[in-house]
Amino acid sequence: MILYGAIFAICLGLGIGFHVQQWSSGETASMGMFLMFSALSGVGYGALWLFLKRWKKYADVSPVRKLWTLLVSGAILTTIAGITSRIGTISAPVLDLGPGFDFETGIALTLPTIVKMVVVSLTQAIFAFLILDQIRSFVLVKRSRSSERNWNLMIIMMVVTSVLTIMNGPGESQNDWQNVSMVIAAVFMMVNAFRLSWIVFLPFKEKLAALGLFLVLAAILVLTLGIGSSGNNLLIPGAVDYLEHYFMPLATFIGQIAIFGVLYCLTAFLSLLFHLPTSGDYEQRAGERATMHSLAALVGQVFEGDRLFATIASSPVEAGSADASWLVMPDVESGTLNQQIIAAHNIAPDRIQDFMNCTELVSDMTSSGDALLIREAAADHRLNVRSGDRIGSLLALPLYARDELIGALFSSKSVVNGFERDDVETISIFAAQAAVAIDNARLFDQQVEKERLSRELAIAREVQRKLLPQTAPSLRGTSIAASSVPAQEVGGDYYDFVKLDDHRYGIIIGDVSGKGTSAAFYMAEMQGIFQSVSRLATSPSQFLHHANMALAQTLDRNVFISAIYGILDLKNETFDIARAGHCPAVTVRLDQKSRLIRTPGLGLGLDRGDLFQKSLVEEHINLNPGDVFVLYTDGVVESRDQEGEEYGYERLLEVVDDCRHEDADGIHAAILRDLRRFLGAEEYDDDMTLLVLKWHGLPLDVMSTSEVSLKETP
Amino acid sequence: MSNFSVGFRTTGVVQILDLHGELDAHTAADLEAAIQKCQKDNRVHILINGANLLYISSAGLGVFMAYIEEVRESGGDIKIAGLQPKVYNVFDLLGFPMLFDIIESEDEAVGKFTASSE
Repeated sequence: MILYGAIFAICLGLGIGFHVQQWSSGETASMGMFLMFSALSGVGYGALWLFLKRWKKYADVSPVRKLWTLLVSGAILTTIAGITSRIGTISAPVLDLGPGFDFETGIALTLPTIVKMVVVSLTQAIFAFLILDQIRSFVLVKRSRSSERNWNLMIIMMVVTSVLTIMNGPGESQNDWQNVSMVIAAVFMMVNAFRLSWIVFLPFKEKLAALGLFLVLAAILVLTLGIGSSGNNLLIPGAVDYLEHYFMPLATFIGQIAIFGVLYCLTAFLSLLFHLPTSGDYEQRAGERATMHSLAALVGQVFEGDRLFATIASSPVEAGSADASWLVMPDVESGTLNQQIIAAHNIAPDRIQDFMNCTELVSDMTSSGDALLIREAAADHRLNVRSGDRIGSLLALPLYARDELIGALFSSKSVVNGFERDDVETISIFAAQAAVAIDNARLFDQQVEKERLSRELAIAREVQRKLLPQTAPSLRGTSIAASSVPAQEVGGDYYDFVKLDDHRYGIIIGDVSGKGTSAAFYMAEMQGIFQSVSRLATSPSQFLHHANMALAQTLDRNVFISAIYGILDLKNETFDIARAGHCPAVTVRLDQKSRLIRTPGLGLGLDRGDLFQKSLVEEHINLNPGDVFVLYTDGVVESRDQEGEEYGYERLLEVVDDCRHEDADGIHAAILRDLRRFLGAEEYDDDMTLLVLKWHGLPLDVMSTSEVSLKETP
Repeated sequence: MSNFSVGFRTTGVVQILDLHGELDAHTAADLEAAIQKCQKDNRVHILINGANLLYISSAGLGVFMAYIEEVRESGGDIKIAGLQPKVYNVFDLLGFPMLFDIIESEDEAVGKFTASSE
């Protein structure tokens, strides 16, 4: 840019020098000098053009703003030129200047004339270049390859025409070549002058302003450069003469720009005039687009219900498609399906309820599955519109999200037959967007809720884990191994140990019917009962009876608990067990094969009277070293493989038989290993608890002292 | 998804519910709905035919417990017939035969209903 400025300054200086030399010598310069001057001027003004182009970076401002800037700079430049050209010639008529301005005589070529000439030429050239550049930005709105080409061809033809006039004297008429090239340039001017698509995008007020500005611009052009009327330039006396005497091609070029400028002003003026009446429609479209844009943005980000609803309710009005609008949705919080006005724009919700029943209208829509357009609200039996309501016509659009009706968007216009086809289409699109937005917001809420619940469940799981023994107790002469895995976060399986007195231990396994949270609560209750009641009961059946009585108060009618309770007596070497509806314990003793201990007994909670106690039968076992007892929940035997086959009792009995010689840990591991091998997967679909107890027998010294230890379980 | 269904049949005063498939925590609601419907229609002589019941979980058993008292109070009963051995075993382990009339054949069960209602 600095380079262009420097080139221009040097060329301008040399050009001035050329004229001064002419003036001082009083003679016409030689041909060589003239050509050199021409070349310098050409290069200089070319540099000026490039300089201006670089300097003036057009921001993306409105066309009116651009026109205004152009006019202001034009006015300043013209004023400078006008004042300069008038200095010293106030009394002299403008016309006098013309003929006296002569190379032949050199009379009029004085120093003031040179200054005036240079100033006028310079200002007019800058003005012309600015005009050209500005119009270019208009012409190339919505540009295509051909529009760019047309513009460039016009400029080239203008330059060609200008160069051809290099040898013309001032005022001299043009020869044929020049005419031809001028005509070609004019054709491209016409083509470019009709590129006016930018006008369509203007709002009404801006169109009006542009109309005036184009008029003023045309006036300035005509009055300064006075196209065709040599010498008679109102604003700058003698402007054309000055220009032509200064440098003919520049004068031609500026003249062409002036013609093109006036032409463009004319076409733009007319086009603006014709487009004025359709501005309203265009503005509505623009409003629709803007509203749609904001709504679409909302879909992605807003999860505050109220703000989302307010935006949706206001969208038809904002877009200019309705006078009032409101959003209706079922009142989910109260649990009813009554439709409620969630948000309203330009109308009070109370007023809406006065003239329409939301629930009825929405159910009407649901049955038809389509939009509801009431052209004449006052005449419709579903509405109770009075004259003060300003409801002429009503449009109701259902909001569907994933094939489910989630609400309706109502719009009204104060006039009858207010909704045109395109209004309905626009609002329909809003309704579709709104449905997605609401659905998204709900999904988001659900997700938050889900995460909260899963955190709660994680806590519950931890709490439940602590209800189970952390380690199996180590009792003299006995090995015990136990584990419990809930199918979900929490489950209804339970096992526990308690020290009843110095040589007796209570062992329980239980299974609450059902799964999940409700089962987990009853499991916790069972734990409380076991820890408190077991010490009071002298026998397994007595404990189960007490437990049944305690649970009867709280268990739901459809919930029951199966359990096995056993008392291990280390002193007397006995194991008494009773079964309350639970999966029978597996035992393997002496040289016998494994078997199930299937004593009769109802599940806890199945009977709340005497029947329960009557149903219980205890099994009394005198322990022999090597006796194994396997307690488990139905998750073990009912586990199914890929084909749906249950693990079953037979497999369990078999595996216990096979590993009977191992200690409790070994048997426990062997059973789980066999189960996993059978399932072919690590996933269990039911709570699964497994407890293995093996009696190894007491060493003689222990038998005499009956001293046993139990690591207290927390 | 659900592989459980309830079929309705009537023989005289007896409302027969044919259970098909697997009755577990997820499908228990279907049986509940079926029994509720019987109660609503005032058909309280309910016979559950379990010939095609392949599996029952504790939650499934809970359904019978939930309604037996009401049905008996209104002069009816829930009897269970035709269970497959494996399913019967689940009923038996919990002691259901002590609480419910569990009969081998449907005809016999219908006969019992008819005898008691006469």
